[in-house]
Parts: sequence; C-alpha cells; structure tokens
Amino acid sequence: MNDFARRMLSLDRRLIFLLIAVVTLLPLLYPFRLPIRVSPEAQKIYDYIESLPEGSVFLLSLDFDPSSKPELYPMSIALLRHAFRKNLKVVGMTLWITGTSMAESVIAGVAQESGKEKGKDYIFLGYAPGGANVIISMGQDLYAAFPTDYYGVKTAELPMLKEVRTLRDIQYAISLSAGSPGVETWYVYGKEKYGFELGGGCTAVSAPGLYPLIDTGQINGLLGGLRGAAEYETLVGVPGKATAGMDAQSATHFLIIFLIMVCNLLYFLTGQEGRRRG
Amino acid sequence: MIFWRRSLPVLITFVLGVTFALQYYVPLPASEALLSGVSVWNQIIAAFAAILGVTSLLHVHYTKIRRKEAGWGYSVVLYLSMLATLVVGFWSGGESENSAFGWLYNYILVALSSTMFSILAFFVASAAYRAFRARSLEATILLAAAVFVMFGRVPLGEYLVSGVGQISDWIMSVPNTAARRGIIIGISLGGIATSIKIIFGIERAYLGGGRD
Repeated sequence: MNDFARRMLSLDRRLIFLLIAVVTLLPLLYPFRLPIRVSPEAQKIYDYIESLPEGSVFLLSLDFDPSSKPELYPMSIALLRHAFRKNLKVVGMTLWITGTSMAESVIAGVAQESGKEKGKDYIFLGYAPGGANVIISMGQDLYAAFPTDYYGVKTAELPMLKEVRTLRDIQYAISLSAGSPGVETWYVYGKEKYGFELGGGCTAVSAPGLYPLIDTGQINGLLGGLRGAAEYETLVGVPGKATAGMDAQSATHFLIIFLIMVCNLLYFLTGQEGRRRG
Repeated sequence: MIFWRRSLPVLITFVLGVTFALQYYVPLPASEALLSGVSVWNQIIAAFAAILGVTSLLHVHYTKIRRKEAGWGYSVVLYLSMLATLVVGFWSGGESENSAFGWLYNYILVALSSTMFSILAFFVASAAYRAFRARSLEATILLAAAVFVMFGRVPLGEYLVSGVGQISDWIMSVPNTAARRGIIIGISLGGIATSIKIIFGIERAYLGGGRD
C-alpha cells in the first residue's frame, strides 16, 4: 500500500496537465450553465453606476496587458455596456503600454455596438508614461497629461472634455488592473487627493490583496477575476465570455480540490517514514 | 567630484522630498501649480527612463550573445523580435488598426502573453498535487481555507452545497482582510521609514556604487 501511495505521489505531471486540459475543454464544448450568485462587492459597483445621472463622466482605466485578457477583457465589455446604456460620458485610458491597442479596440467596439459617437459620447486617451505621475498630472490638468487623445485630436478641443479639466470633474472611475500601476495607484494618487469615487477590478490572483480597500471605503466595490466579470455580465443581463468560462472554472477548481484531497490521503497512507521523507 | 556624484543628488533629494511632503498640505494655487509642473516633468523623465530600460536590456543581451553564455539563443530571439517590431511599427506609422503592426500585436503578442498566463493553471494544479499537504496545524488551516474558497467561488460549488459561497466570502473579507491589512501596515511603515532615510541622506543605495 505504501509503495502504491509513493508511486502515486510521484505521478508524472504530464498526466495532471492532461486532466486539466480535458476538464477545461469539456465544459467549454458542453456548457452546463449554472446560475451565478452576485457578490456584494460587484453589486455595489453596479448600483453606483445605476445611481449616476445621465451625462456623468465615467473614467475606465484599462491597466492590464494581453496576458490578463481572459479575465479583464470581459469585465471591460460588461462595464462599458452598462455605462453606455446609462448614457454616461466615458473616458478610456491605460497605464500599461502593452495594453493600449487592446484597450482601444474594446472601447471602440462596445461604443460602436451601443451607437455612441467618438469625441462626443466617449474618448480614448491612450497611454502616457509615468504610472502614478500620469494620475497626479491628470488631477492637476488633464490637457497637460494628455495633450492629444489616442487618435491625435487635441484634448482641449474635444467636445466631451469641455467641462472636464481635471480628475475633480470625474464622477466615477474604475481601474481594471493586473498589477501595478493599478487600483492601489489610482486610490493613493487619485481618489485620495482629487475626491472622485473609485471602484476596482482585478485578476483573481490579486483580489485577496484588494479586499482591505473595500471595508475602509477606499474603493466602493471590486470585481475579482473571471468570477467578477461573470457577476457583472449577470447584472447587466448580457452573458458573455466570462459567463461561458465559469463552467470551465468550476470543473478546474473541482479537479484541483480532488487532487489536493488525493495527495493528502496518499501522504497519510505513506506513514511516518514517507512523511519524514516529505 | 564627490560633490557632483554624492552631495548634489542628496541635496536635490532633500529639497524636493521636503518640498513635496509639505506641498500636499498647502492647497494654494502656487503650490498646485508647482505640483502640475513637476508631474509633467516626471512624465517626461519616465519616457526617457523607458529608453534607458531598452538600452540596458539590449546591452545585457548583447553581452550574453558575445560571451555565448547559456541560453544566448534566446537573446538572439529577443534582438530579432525587437528589431522586427520596430521596423514593422515604423513602417505602419504606429497605426494598429488594419496594419502589420496591429497583426503583430493581435496574433503574436496577445497570443504569446495569453499562453504564458494560461500555463499557470497547469503548473498550479501540478504544484497543488505535489506540495499542498497538511504537514502541520497551520498548513491544515491554510488547506481548509483554500478548499472552501475554491469550492465557494464557483457556481458548481454553490449549486452543490448551499451557503458555501457565503463561507468563502467570509474567509475573503474577514481572515484574509485582517492578514492582508497587517501586511499593508507593515509595508507602509517600512515605506515611510525608507522615504525618511532617503530624504535625509541616510539611505544612499539609489546613488549606486562606483568611484566618488
């Protein structure tokens, strides 16, 4: 029995890789579409956007690169759909240079789908180097931080920015971040000084680190990982890629839990000698 | 020479450090204008820092190739990729829509980055199987918390065991938040202490080594 347990503990990892591939692929091909419970953190973001009057300025900072696309891209789509449906004026930007094209395509894509006009209903500022400095600069003078938008139009001449000179003129901002600069940077250098309300979205791996900011009111809500994106899609009522991916995530989580159980069972079966060897 | 290499940078750090620590508490137009000017300068310096970073990266990899160090082939790939991106970028005029540059971005950068990130799932599963063991009481508590969170964060878990989602939410917003808050306070105190040491010239590691 001990020998069997030891052999199982040193299982070829390629077999585990194969199992993960299978349990990820099968639910994507044959989804079982279980209902998604909305967490209070996601609900707060939705409710805040709902409470904004038409024409309020909503800043969406897409602070991620393509590596986090599966989690944060669906989140951006759901948030933009909600903002455009509420007729908010959307300011898009990014603090991550490698995310610029992706950020532009999601904003322009959802705007087109919602029948919104560039420069009037939404703008995309693009990327500016400096991370925290860009936020401080925007807080002082948005036209100086971004003299032109992504398409080369002078920001001072954009009709949508006529009454938006600094971050103080923004009613709500959300940073969807995969690291730093991201949500914490926006809080420390933006909200804390310029007083706008801030929400956050992040990859699942960084969500536990941002929970303390919710209790203290530093951010008013949080969308965490693919689950957060799926919750927001549920709230907006348009299921997308995140909702579709939740079945695969369910199956993968269950496989990992199963593997952990098996590993611990085998670990105890190996007896004291095996445990000493580790 | 010691004045230019050591004393002057320390003096600039001291003056700017004290000025901008105080600036935060002075809401006068002149103080705000000072912050505006400096933040724009910081953005300009950050852009030059990017050039410095690329130069440093190329230098490190050039040395690897010249000395034929282990893995020097990857350095050649880096040079070729960077050159190709630069050439295609200039040729496309920096436009990413319907251009070769956009194609590079969408079908190479996006695909490679996503692949790198998705590989994590495979390694996490393999590592969990090999290393996530209840060796001690602390490890057992961590293991139980991880299982509850993984179970409660997916619809299948909530469907099978009602209420597990709330347990998962509680773990995230109470014990996790408490631990994380402790870490944040520690890091913040460390950050404040280091900033004070830098402003007063006690910590000078940022000036680098070399001759005075």
